[in-house]
Amino acid sequence: MNETLRKRIEAREAVLGRIREILISTLHVERAPAELDPDTPLFGTGLRLDSIDAVELWVSVCDAFQFPPPEDERRITALRTLNTLADLILELRVEDAP
Amino acid sequence: MIPHVELEALRLHTAWGAMPHVAVLRIRGEDAFDALDAVCPADLYLRDGQLLHTLLLTDDGRPFVDLYVGRDDEDFLLLAEGLEADALAARLRDAWPAGLDVEILDLRQSHTLLSLHGPWAWELMAELVGPGVVGLPYLTLYHEPEWICVRAGKTGEFGYDLLVKNEGQDALRDRILELGQGFGLQEVGLAALDQCALENGFFNIRREGRSGATPLELQLQWRLSAGKRFPGADALAAQREAGPRRRLTTVVANAPFRDGDRVWLDGQDVGEVVNSGACPFRGDHVGLALLQRATAHAGLEGFTVGPQADGPPLRTVSPPVIHNRSLFVQPQKHSYRTRDEHAFPPLSPEPAAAPGSHP
Repeated sequence: MNETLRKRIEAREAVLGRIREILISTLHVERAPAELDPDTPLFGTGLRLDSIDAVELWVSVCDAFQFPPPEDERRITALRTLNTLADLILELRVEDAP
Repeated sequence: MIPHVELEALRLHTAWGAMPHVAVLRIRGEDAFDALDAVCPADLYLRDGQLLHTLLLTDDGRPFVDLYVGRDDEDFLLLAEGLEADALAARLRDAWPAGLDVEILDLRQSHTLLSLHGPWAWELMAELVGPGVVGLPYLTLYHEPEWICVRAGKTGEFGYDLLVKNEGQDALRDRILELGQGFGLQEVGLAALDQCALENGFFNIRREGRSGATPLELQLQWRLSAGKRFPGADALAAQREAGPRRRLTTVVANAPFRDGDRVWLDGQDVGEVVNSGACPFRGDHVGLALLQRATAHAGLEGFTVGPQADGPPLRTVSPPVIHNRSLFVQPQKHSYRTRDEHAFPPLSPEPAAAPGSHP
């Protein structure tokens, strides 16, 4: 595996790890980190978070990764799984890079 | 080849299907909870009218049924894919502890299942039964006088399963077809429903569910209880301890690929395609691959797919691969009849999709 791919995987794993921490410590999801698969749905089914959890998750993620809340469309599509949330965070980091 | 009109109905209008592949059982009796709890790997903490999405597992931890369990007063309603009703009832009876007071009714003997899907299905339902249905949360059910309505679906769009007594099915279907004329209603088959499930990351027991993978490899741990004992739990605990070697990952490519194709990285065989299909709204092809754990991450390029390593490029993505219109339709604000007056995001999240491939 080449270095670029390895770094991408490390970056995603680090972001997913932080999202898992937020879900467990802030939203009190009763799961071990290893049980939170990246494609786990956050709302409706999956972790069955509700609209109040959505606000708390969003605020916590924006705070943890230090980015201002993006526009509605990006928020709506990001708040589906751990992976879609990680996609947005990684995308905003790239946009932010000098 | 899936008729495009069916996919369009599911993604942009309204669609209905007869759902013959779904077994519907009612579990009742004094010990219904204990009986179901003994075989179900999820915690059955359900309020009346609430459903959960789980699986049934073999003793070696592999799924053989994709299951909704719903609480219906003191009974449980099962909507199951993967086994015919008779076979499912037999498996349940075999697995239950002896002496329980529990009865299984095959509701497909007395009822018909009709399903409605699409970003405007809520509005068709509102015309059918009244505006109250619009607020029905996902994974809940309620009773109409002649049928049961289950808010569910595996397409990423609004979905309703209507379980109607056989004697009332013609009248209900005729009424839906009549109302559906105002909503672009189209009958759809299982292939179109399965394609939408694939695009949205919904588990398909008939495709990736037949790969021999476990819930740990299929990213379905959320369907299992974290604490209770259930069939297959020991096998999964052992696999968790050893670390699963593969993980189901969504992949896309501009060229077609098929189930059974190998996935390659740096000339090494790193996995196998277990579900695949053309995605006309993106203008490419989407699939699921069981990849070696070290490479099974979204957002990676550099893979190839095919019998040999020199196949077309493939990359990994996070599902859903579609911007579901249902996410952006607001019942308080939007209506099918005035839908063209509103700007919705394109179905494809990626602007690189083939020109004209999304409406």
